[in-house]
Amino acid sequence: MEDKLTKEEVLHVAQLARINIDEDELETYQIELKKLLNEVEKISAVKGYDDEKLIASWDRKTELREDIAGEMLDPKEVINNAPRHSGNYIEVPVVIGDES
Amino acid sequence: MNKYIPTIGIEVHVELKTATKIFSNSINGYGQMANSLTNVVDLGYPGTLPTLNKEVINLAIKAATVLNCKIRKEMHFDRKNYFYPDIPKNYQITQNETPIGYDGYVEITINGEKKKIEIEEMHIEEDTCKSTHRSSKTLLDFNRAGVPLIEIVTKPCISSGEEAKLYLEKLRELLYYCDISDCKIEEGSMRADANVSIRKNEQDPLGTKCEIKNIGSISNVAISIDKEIKNQIELIENNKQIKQQTKRYDDKLGKNILMRTKETGNDYRYFPEPDIPYVILTEDMIASVVKTIPMLPDERRKVYQAKGVSELNANKLVQNRSLSDYFNKLLDTNINFKIASNILLGDIQAYLNKNEKQISDTTLTVTRFEELVKNVEDKTLTSKNLKDILVTVLEEESSISTIIKKSGIENIQDDQALRTIINSIISSNQETVNDYKNGHDRAIKFFMGQIMKETKGSANPKLAMDILLEELKK
Repeated sequence: MEDKLTKEEVLHVAQLARINIDEDELETYQIELKKLLNEVEKISAVKGYDDEKLIASWDRKTELREDIAGEMLDPKEVINNAPRHSGNYIEVPVVIGDES
Repeated sequence: MNKYIPTIGIEVHVELKTATKIFSNSINGYGQMANSLTNVVDLGYPGTLPTLNKEVINLAIKAATVLNCKIRKEMHFDRKNYFYPDIPKNYQITQNETPIGYDGYVEITINGEKKKIEIEEMHIEEDTCKSTHRSSKTLLDFNRAGVPLIEIVTKPCISSGEEAKLYLEKLRELLYYCDISDCKIEEGSMRADANVSIRKNEQDPLGTKCEIKNIGSISNVAISIDKEIKNQIELIENNKQIKQQTKRYDDKLGKNILMRTKETGNDYRYFPEPDIPYVILTEDMIASVVKTIPMLPDERRKVYQAKGVSELNANKLVQNRSLSDYFNKLLDTNINFKIASNILLGDIQAYLNKNEKQISDTTLTVTRFEELVKNVEDKTLTSKNLKDILVTVLEEESSISTIIKKSGIENIQDDQALRTIINSIISSNQETVNDYKNGHDRAIKFFMGQIMKETKGSANPKLAMDILLEELKK
């Protein structure tokens, strides 16, 4: 078993998490992240874990909610709680290239 | 072009017509002030928990049923993880592993042949907030966040833009008739993405696919797919490689434009949503939803045509759900359905369109409409008479016979009275009588015109014609 992740793996995870990592930090993350993964992998050693997927910590089924409207937030409260706003919209740094 | 086989798969997102959102009780609405339909769950505040809306499950069962899908009775939700401002909790709750519906189909008719468009799966998920991009900033409106969606995914079994268009039209019609969604593409309540690839032989593996996202209208789906097929053929013919890309169709430029994308596949790191335990559907639950499914569009077309309505009129009726629902109420009566459909789709629809009304906004009860159709059938009312009294018929409540009497346009049904008028016209137009006897058919037109003029349009045309021919023979 390798004792560290590759640089590419670390950079890929950093990209998914939208964080920048400096070149001199890479080595630390290669080792630290691998240690975490090794810890998590111990779970697969537990017998019977794969038999059934654990969805919730109890076996009751989901209670469905009736389709009746409740109280909503005042739009002023909503935008004031955001770092920036423009009119009634919450403003974030420009996201290029996707229009969904 | 024929050397290549295009393979297309379509993914459609449809917003469900519920009162509230999928995981919170804030209102599911469109066109309201930005960020006015939200609560802490929709905004992804820490510590909030989702509560699943019963109506979402009901509508999804309904959709799965009309799309001929098998329904999964035990299912869960999954988290699709990604960092993007449209979803502040950094995951979308969806169904990755246990979609509610699977293995279904929608039947289309292409070039006179029936084809089943196979549905791989249909799952439930939450919509994200709406982002609007400006040059220096992105604006977010969370009114759309948490609106319930179903995503319907076909197998790669569609072979042309035209087939894709027919499939989407059929899908929209089914979902709209069942009150599952408004299916307004222009308002985003139905959104289609297409995966397009080409290959040379059926036996070859599927070619590299290109995804065209968020196409704004059904006709543009056909156009953008056909353009992408053409583009891929050109690349291959010029020995260039097709790259796996995501594009969007630009209506103004009339072409597909390359987009940058979020993560794909494994990068989403799906795992079961721990905040929502298993959802279990019982047979009773499913049966009670299935009971609410109305007569579907294809069946309506069949029933109407069996009652004597033309194919054209049957299609026109189905295109207008409120008229079709109204027509269905007449199905147990013994009126002339051909005449009934002509009246509904002719003068009545023109009135409704002009006044921006639905048939239910008028005073035309089914009983009064039956009476109206009978009066047209037995020629008491000519088409001109019908036009004259139509507004009264649609806006007042008195019986049709009363309206006919009051308006003074009661047709002359009295054989003797009409015969006297006709004889007087014949005797003062001897020259035309000779024309008729010499085989000039237009003489009849002249006489009918004179009869209608003399009776101010109130002669029963069939009766008048019969008497006229009889008298001319004498």
